[in-house]
Amino acid sequence: MTRHDSDHTSEPIRIGVLYSRSGVTAAVERTQLQATILAVEEINRAGGVSGREIELVCLDPQCKPRCYAQLAEELIVEHRVRIIVGCYMSSSRKAVIPIVERHNALLFYATPYEGFEHSRNVIYTGAAPNQNTLPLAGFMLTQFGSRVSMIGSDYVCPYESNRVMSDLILERGGAKANEIYLSLDAPWESYLDAAQRIKECAPDFIFSTVVGEGIPHLYRAFAHVGLDPYRVPIASHMTSEAEIAVMGNDVAEGHITCATYFQSIDTPANLGAVARYQARFGEDQPTNMCWEAAWFQMHLLADAIRRVGSDDPALLQRVLPGLEFDAPQGRVRIDEHNNHTYLHPLIGRVDTRGRFDVIGRAPERVKADPYVVSHTTPAWTADAHPELARSGDAQ
Amino acid sequence: MKRTAETPAILRTLRSLKVVVLHPQDQDGEELLAQLQRIGCDVEVFWPRLDSLPAGTGLVVMAMRPETLSMTFPWLGTSTSPPVIPVVTYENPIIIEAVLQLNAYTTIPSPVRSSGLLTAIVVALAQFKVSRGRERYIDRLEQKQARLRIIQQAKQIVMETRGVSEEEAYQILRSQAMLKREQIETVASEIVKARETLCF
Repeated sequence: MTRHDSDHTSEPIRIGVLYSRSGVTAAVERTQLQATILAVEEINRAGGVSGREIELVCLDPQCKPRCYAQLAEELIVEHRVRIIVGCYMSSSRKAVIPIVERHNALLFYATPYEGFEHSRNVIYTGAAPNQNTLPLAGFMLTQFGSRVSMIGSDYVCPYESNRVMSDLILERGGAKANEIYLSLDAPWESYLDAAQRIKECAPDFIFSTVVGEGIPHLYRAFAHVGLDPYRVPIASHMTSEAEIAVMGNDVAEGHITCATYFQSIDTPANLGAVARYQARFGEDQPTNMCWEAAWFQMHLLADAIRRVGSDDPALLQRVLPGLEFDAPQGRVRIDEHNNHTYLHPLIGRVDTRGRFDVIGRAPERVKADPYVVSHTTPAWTADAHPELARSGDAQ
Repeated sequence: MKRTAETPAILRTLRSLKVVVLHPQDQDGEELLAQLQRIGCDVEVFWPRLDSLPAGTGLVVMAMRPETLSMTFPWLGTSTSPPVIPVVTYENPIIIEAVLQLNAYTTIPSPVRSSGLLTAIVVALAQFKVSRGRERYIDRLEQKQARLRIIQQAKQIVMETRGVSEEEAYQILRSQAMLKREQIETVASEIVKARETLCF
């Protein structure tokens, strides 16, 4: 190898990061940013990839879709980045896709979303609806009943989740007690009013697709109007440890979330990652599903770069499909045909310490099916520990 | 957003939709096939010839290429032809004219991307259904119109030959029809035919 070559190949690989540090979903995006930083520090400490360090270029899009687009362009054109990790709400991802497609860059997206998308230039490491909404619907409709109140943030992802849930409710001869949408920046009073209206309807459970700062408002409002989560829980696929930390354990206890990761999972991979994260960012820092996807996707990416010896997206697109990794949730795999990820759905109920008790789990990892329209609920959700689901009755 | 509507029936049936793809196996062809499989359709690919459609074909996606212009596809343009979505590579008048001949409701531009195909399929199927429904409605209207015209002519003949009013003429036709256990338009058309035979 000539001296020139070795100089060239020891240059760091720059990766762009678009997670918001302010705005409605900043609390969870900050955990994704820190997970990304942790993973990169781990990769670099182990010698980098093919002798090169990874260097992050972190910009703050402030939860504004327009900023995501501008900053994605800036990362690619000015910072010479070919790979971007980031985006949270679908509006931000949709803003970035035309830009990564135009420049043939790659976006790694670590957040559950509503499906019906595929881009050659996006790797999706969060859950598709068949990996979270569907197991949650199967579990709740079986264990609690099919008279459902729906409350969500007023944008496309909640509408799509509610379409899936509505179809399943109607198939079972159930009913929608109410369907409420609140703007992303709705104040506390709006949640209080919604909680009151839901209480009057006396549903079997509440399906929440509220995201961001609204989540703590929603759970506090429920506690405030005196709804008992062990009788009428809120079921969500977006409420995570990040939001529980904001709302408080007492308010969160008893409510149910379906996700492909909980901090409480006791795999060696998870225990190790959580310990390193808390040593680096603070003992009080909880992890969550979006944190985990952000962390493992960086390791998957590093593995892919190692295999092709380059950060060229055209080369990476050849090796990413089919790639596997021992993630904290278990072994994950990027699907060969749809760029989404095989994941491990779990159903958890918040305990007194704000952690999720796992009360149901898929028997094996589940292939993402982003284009499925008519859903059938998975069999395992029907016999997932009813005694645990109802454990509050005995208290 | 007030309430989520029920999922449209066409979207629910996509996983049982049989799609015939008439396209060479180039990058566009591969992208088309991969996206149709992600959507979950039952796909069969042919190129360049296809003399008859497989049974149950619900949609044809076909490349519009200069080399297809001279080909004839006997299954196109019949009353039982499924909807066709052309994949358009050239935008010159000759190819656009060929696209118009297909009576397409939507097109897919080349280079093919995965996004856009699902919407194109659903729009094509929905418009096809609307159009078929409208054709059937027009057929029924035309038949009804023809029946009314015959009854009107027959009434006129009865009024002239029997010297009765329009209402009485109609009652005569009606009682004849009941007597013979026939439809009123059958009786009417017999009268009209008989009159035509007499007045050669």
